Amino acid sequence: MSFDYILETRDICKNFGKLAANDRISLKIKRNTIHSIVGENGAGKSTLMNILTNIHKADSGEILINGKEVKFKSTIDAARQGIGMVYQEFMLMKGFTSFENIIVGFEEKKGIAIDFKESRKKVERICDEYHFPLPLDTLIDDLPVSVLQQIEIVKVLYRGAEIIILDEPTSSLTPQGIRGLFSAIRALRDLGKTVLFITHKLKEVFEISDEISVLRDGKLIGTYQPSDVNPQKLANLMVGREVILKANKAPHEVGETVLKVDNLSVYDKDGIERVKGVSFDIKKGEILGIAGVAGSGQQHLSEALYGLTRPKQGSSIEFNGEEISRGNPLDRHKNRIGYVPQDRIGSGCNVNGTIWENCIMGYHKARGFDPPWLLNYKQAHDFSRKVVEDFDVKIQTIEDRVGSLSGGNIQKLIVGREFSQQNILLIIEDPTRGIDVGAIEYIWEKLLDFAAQGVSVLMISHDLNEVMQLSDRIMVMYDGHLYNAGNYLELTEEQIGLIMMGGSLHE
Amino acid sequence: MNKTTKLGEEFKINLIKYSFSLFAVLLIGSLLIMAQGENPITAVSSIFVGAFGSKVNFGNTLHWMAPCMLVGTAALIAFRSGVMNLGLEGQIYFGALAAGLAGYMVELPPIIHPLFCIVVGGIAGMLWALLPAILRLFFNISEVISTLILNYIAILLAELFTILLMKFEKNMSVTNIATTKILDSARLLVLIKGTNATSALIIAAVILVVVYLVYKYTVVGYELKQVGQNLKFAKIGGVNASRVFISIFLISGFIAGICGATETIGVNYKFISRFSANLGWDGVMITRVAANSPGGVAVVSFIWAAFKAGAMHMERNTVLNRYVINLLQAIFVLFISIDYKMLYTNYKERKFIKSQSLKERD
Repeated sequence: MSFDYILETRDICKNFGKLAANDRISLKIKRNTIHSIVGENGAGKSTLMNILTNIHKADSGEILINGKEVKFKSTIDAARQGIGMVYQEFMLMKGFTSFENIIVGFEEKKGIAIDFKESRKKVERICDEYHFPLPLDTLIDDLPVSVLQQIEIVKVLYRGAEIIILDEPTSSLTPQGIRGLFSAIRALRDLGKTVLFITHKLKEVFEISDEISVLRDGKLIGTYQPSDVNPQKLANLMVGREVILKANKAPHEVGETVLKVDNLSVYDKDGIERVKGVSFDIKKGEILGIAGVAGSGQQHLSEALYGLTRPKQGSSIEFNGEEISRGNPLDRHKNRIGYVPQDRIGSGCNVNGTIWENCIMGYHKARGFDPPWLLNYKQAHDFSRKVVEDFDVKIQTIEDRVGSLSGGNIQKLIVGREFSQQNILLIIEDPTRGIDVGAIEYIWEKLLDFAAQGVSVLMISHDLNEVMQLSDRIMVMYDGHLYNAGNYLELTEEQIGLIMMGGSLHE
Repeated sequence: MNKTTKLGEEFKINLIKYSFSLFAVLLIGSLLIMAQGENPITAVSSIFVGAFGSKVNFGNTLHWMAPCMLVGTAALIAFRSGVMNLGLEGQIYFGALAAGLAGYMVELPPIIHPLFCIVVGGIAGMLWALLPAILRLFFNISEVISTLILNYIAILLAELFTILLMKFEKNMSVTNIATTKILDSARLLVLIKGTNATSALIIAAVILVVVYLVYKYTVVGYELKQVGQNLKFAKIGGVNASRVFISIFLISGFIAGICGATETIGVNYKFISRFSANLGWDGVMITRVAANSPGGVAVVSFIWAAFKAGAMHMERNTVLNRYVINLLQAIFVLFISIDYKMLYTNYKERKFIKSQSLKERD
């Protein structure tokens, strides 16, 4: 039984609404190799993996294992057929030992009772064979991340996986942890397994892969040998999309410094440092664009800037010469700083509220009513109507529920709310994610307009094209650090793409 | 057009929700009643007579409406802002005890005295509600757990205080544990003679109207609603969530305390240990059925009160126990709580997938 390809997909398609997340993907994975799948966020990597593990059902297309077509009934069925996935977020249960976490759901049985002895033997055999010296009887609560990952790998091996999918496995590891992981991955391959390695970090791809497949915009661009491509070319393949939209930005002068951030560090609630001592400033009328792959620390940066999380001691955020790092969101509103969060539905608006209720959030305290405790309906409605008219939000009446609007209209509403309060600085995340082309153009135009009028904009976006089209100055966030990426049109998209993936321009 | 279709759909789902729940409860209720050898129609008419049959009966309904409305309002304030205050029962007990003490320990002129008792009761309920709020904010203990547990502590603690204060014997039977009768000056005004329909109803109505006005016309009311519907959105908008959380707990506890106080100075004229037949839970159910709207609380409280008054009458005139009504009320709340909208969308999705797979086969 010797087929060249252990896993094959044929014309896999998956649509989410109008979005084609996977568009006729035909991928071939050679047995006994380490196969990297690279692509930007939203390129369709996760969707494809979720189809392989039966979390999603493909709209059409076939999956072949060892040359035979398979149809999975459930995720457990996919595991039985030999596909095991190690997720980015570990699926381990606290309060249980490593051993218990490994065998859960697939215990060896003696009648209806769990045969702990037999299960234990099996786990120990796997640990021995693949050189994972795991502390089997320790509660997982007490173990470091790198060990948890090994537990996840042993778990899929225990379940009989032949193909092991690792989804962004290095994102939470230290450099030493990554080295350990890579030697483990090589050991898996040498002992006959096949590894699918999902990542967007170029350096790692070249270090570990036997073959590399590139996804972009839901399509498979191609499969390459590492010797045939270099980091520059790979970045090109990953981000080199056609530019559909041009912002027609006119270069303009900027004024004095408005925001000055110095040595800002932010920890998340698990105590992991997500923003690592970044420093930057924004001048009056300047659009500073921060590009970067999702999860590089952008979220934590903007939350700290807006006073939602407290930065580490020693961090400094100066706004018009005043230290504001200990303030709260209300202070930011009063300082005339606006914020358009990335998660439009989750934190940008209240979908169950009316248009006017959504328009006056923030305004109601920072600009205020007279007397301040009384909700002045006329003032609230007037302000809301102004937002709606100025920003071309298509509604029937301001008593409509926001949930009944399209994504583009909701975004116009939120941007309008933050722009209609004579703000001096605007922090905006992914201004145009998931909205239609017309709304994108409208919001871009507005952003440039306001910058021309002297409003400073900090734009954090995952869309590199957007950053390049709008920003006076570009920085790239990678792994919690900020890197300078030059002024407007100074660097090419490919060069910035390279920095986004952790590469360096001078290699 | 967009708006009307949207509103129309919401209205349709609500209509389906309430009429289906009513129908289901009537069906289950009829079966339950028939299983006990009683005619459902006799039972229903007996409830109706008990609730509205005479001036006294109607007075009884009004009597029950006051605590229902008060505790319903207390629950409304919490649930509308997403705060799970399940400790209303305990807050009622502290309010009732404090009002009972204020009723005989202090001498004040009429009108002022009952108002004093009510404020004291409210403050006692508020202080008891402060405890879970602190536990949540400083020790991160979920208020669902802490308020539930504190209910039992409150009931027994109120009993212990009464025993110590009145110097009762330890082995005294629970039903006799009560404080000294309150002074006549502390009593609430009786509205319908021969019943316990008192000015508590007016107090409850005033409080509910004030709450309605606060929600409708003040910045605080706006913030309370937004916090309940999307906390993150409100936080980014500059709402101080911790302060809102504490205020909600305190106000909710204050009104629950008032509820206990009116029972003491309007009905029992003394604090009686274990007097409340799960009033706190009635409040939770009333708000649930009223879908967190102040107007709804008034209507549902009236219905709830009619059932409470009618159930007693039914128990006397039929073979049925009045707890049958409690049971049916609870079942009704369960049916109301079903997410019909989600069921509907799931159903549509499944139908869609089925039609897709059928197409594939062709």
